[in-house]
Amino acid sequence: MERHFEQELDKLNKRILKMGNLVYDQVHNALEAILTCNPELAQQVVDNDYQVDKLDVKIDKLCQRIFALTQPVATDLRLIMSALKMNNDLERLGDLAVNISAKIEGVCEYKEILTELHFDELATMADLIVKDVINILNTRNTTFVKDIFVSANAIEEKVQAVSARILDEMMHKTEVIVVATNLMIILTQIDRIAGYSTNIAESVVFIVEGRMIKHKNPLKESAAVLPPNPEPEA
Amino acid sequence: MKETKIKTRDLTLYYGAKMALNSISLDIPENEVTAFIGPSGCGKSTFLRTLNRMNDLIPTVRITGEVLVDTLNIYDKQIDVVNLRKKVGMVFQKSNPFTKSIFENVAYGPRINGINHKGQLGEIVENSLKKAFIWDEVKDRLHDSAMGLSGGQQQRMCIARTLAVEPEIILMDEPASALDPISTAKIEELIFELKKNYTIVIVTHNMQQAARVSDLTAFFYLGELIEYGKTKKIFTTPDKKHTEEYITGRFG
Repeated sequence: MERHFEQELDKLNKRILKMGNLVYDQVHNALEAILTCNPELAQQVVDNDYQVDKLDVKIDKLCQRIFALTQPVATDLRLIMSALKMNNDLERLGDLAVNISAKIEGVCEYKEILTELHFDELATMADLIVKDVINILNTRNTTFVKDIFVSANAIEEKVQAVSARILDEMMHKTEVIVVATNLMIILTQIDRIAGYSTNIAESVVFIVEGRMIKHKNPLKESAAVLPPNPEPEA
Repeated sequence: MKETKIKTRDLTLYYGAKMALNSISLDIPENEVTAFIGPSGCGKSTFLRTLNRMNDLIPTVRITGEVLVDTLNIYDKQIDVVNLRKKVGMVFQKSNPFTKSIFENVAYGPRINGINHKGQLGEIVENSLKKAFIWDEVKDRLHDSAMGLSGGQQQRMCIARTLAVEPEIILMDEPASALDPISTAKIEELIFELKKNYTIVIVTHNMQQAARVSDLTAFFYLGELIEYGKTKKIFTTPDKKHTEEYITGRFG
C-alpha cells in the first residue's frame, strides 16, 4: 500500500520536473528567438511566463503543506528543502528567459553583429547547460554534476571574451552603442543561466548524497569529484 | 566530546532462549541527552533497563557483557543495587505516584536514605519540585494527595521524586507518551534544562521528540544497534539505509 505521504512526494517530484521542462523550453525559445530574430517567438516566451509563476506558487504551497503536516526527516527533508530552492532557481531561470526575449528588437536591428560575435556558440552552450541540468534533476544521476561546472566555467569565460569585444566595438563605433548595451544585458542573463544551473546541480547532490557543495567549486577539488560532506554545523 | 558516563561492551541479553540484545557496545556521554529509537520489540527499553539493572527482577533474564557507569561495572557481584538505582534514577511511561501527599512522594527517597530532619526534607522537596518545573503549581497544596494532580503534573512530580535522591543519570522510558502536547512540551523543556546537571537517556517512539530533545540518537532493530551518532546527523543524513527507512516511516 502506497502511503499518502509517498503520493505527496511523488506529486512534488513530478511538479519540479514539469517546472524544469517548462523552464528549459522558455530558455530554449528565448535564445532561439534572438538567434533567428523571431519577435513572435520572443513574445511567446513573455506570454508563457505566467505558467512558470503559477507552477512556482503551486510547488511552494505543496512544500509548505508537506513540511507542516508530515515533519519530514533525512532524505525526505533534503528533497523538500531542495525542491523549494530549486523551484526558486528555476523560476529565476524563467525570468532570465523573459529578460532575454525583451531585448530582441534592440539586438535584431543589427543582426550581423550576432554572427560576428559567434553568439550562436554561446546560445548553444547556455541551452545545453540547462538541458543537462534538467536531465540530472530528472535522473538524479550525480555522475555528470562535474560537467555542469565545467560548462558553467566555459560559459563564464566566453561571456567575458564576448563582452570585451563588444566594449571594444562600442568605443570605436558609437552607432552600435544601443545594440551593444542590449547585447551586454543578454550576456549577463546568459552568465546567470550558468549560475542557476550550477545551483540546481548542487541541490541534486544534496538530495541524493546529503552533501552540501554550495560555495565550493568541485573542479578545484583534487582527488574526489565532489568534496566530502562535513559534520553538520552546530 | 564530553566524558563518557555509561559504557556498554558486548552487552547481550536473553529472555529464556530468546536473544533480545545482541552484543551492544555504546558510549553515552555525560550531561547530554541520548535517545533510543526503534520499532516495538527492537530491544531499546530492554537495553535502557540494563543500565540500572531493572531486568534483574525478571527471572528468565540472562546477561553477558559489561555495563560501566563511570568506571564501575554495575553487574559486579559486590554492587549494591539500591545504591546503583539511587545514582541511576528512572522515570516510567506511566506516572506512578504513591497514594500519599505530594510532599511525601518526593520525600520518600530521601526518607528511606535516612534523612528525617523536617527542615532538610522540606528543602529537598522544594528544590526537587523546582528543578522539575512544578513547584509553582503545587507549592500551596504540598500536603494534598498526589493522585489529584493531572497526568502531566504527576509525571513531573515523579521526575522530582527521582531528583530528590540526587541521581547522576536519569533513564526515561517513554516519559511523555501518555501526555497531551502541552504537558509533553513541558517535559521536553524540563529534559533540556536537566541535562545541564544530569546525564539523560530516553526511550521514545516519537521520532520528532527524539529529534527535538536529544543530542545523540541510537537506532535499534531486532536487538541490534544499527546506528548511533549525533541526532542532527541521524535525522538529516543517516549512514545506514535501515535507519533512513525507519525514521522516514518506510518500515517498522
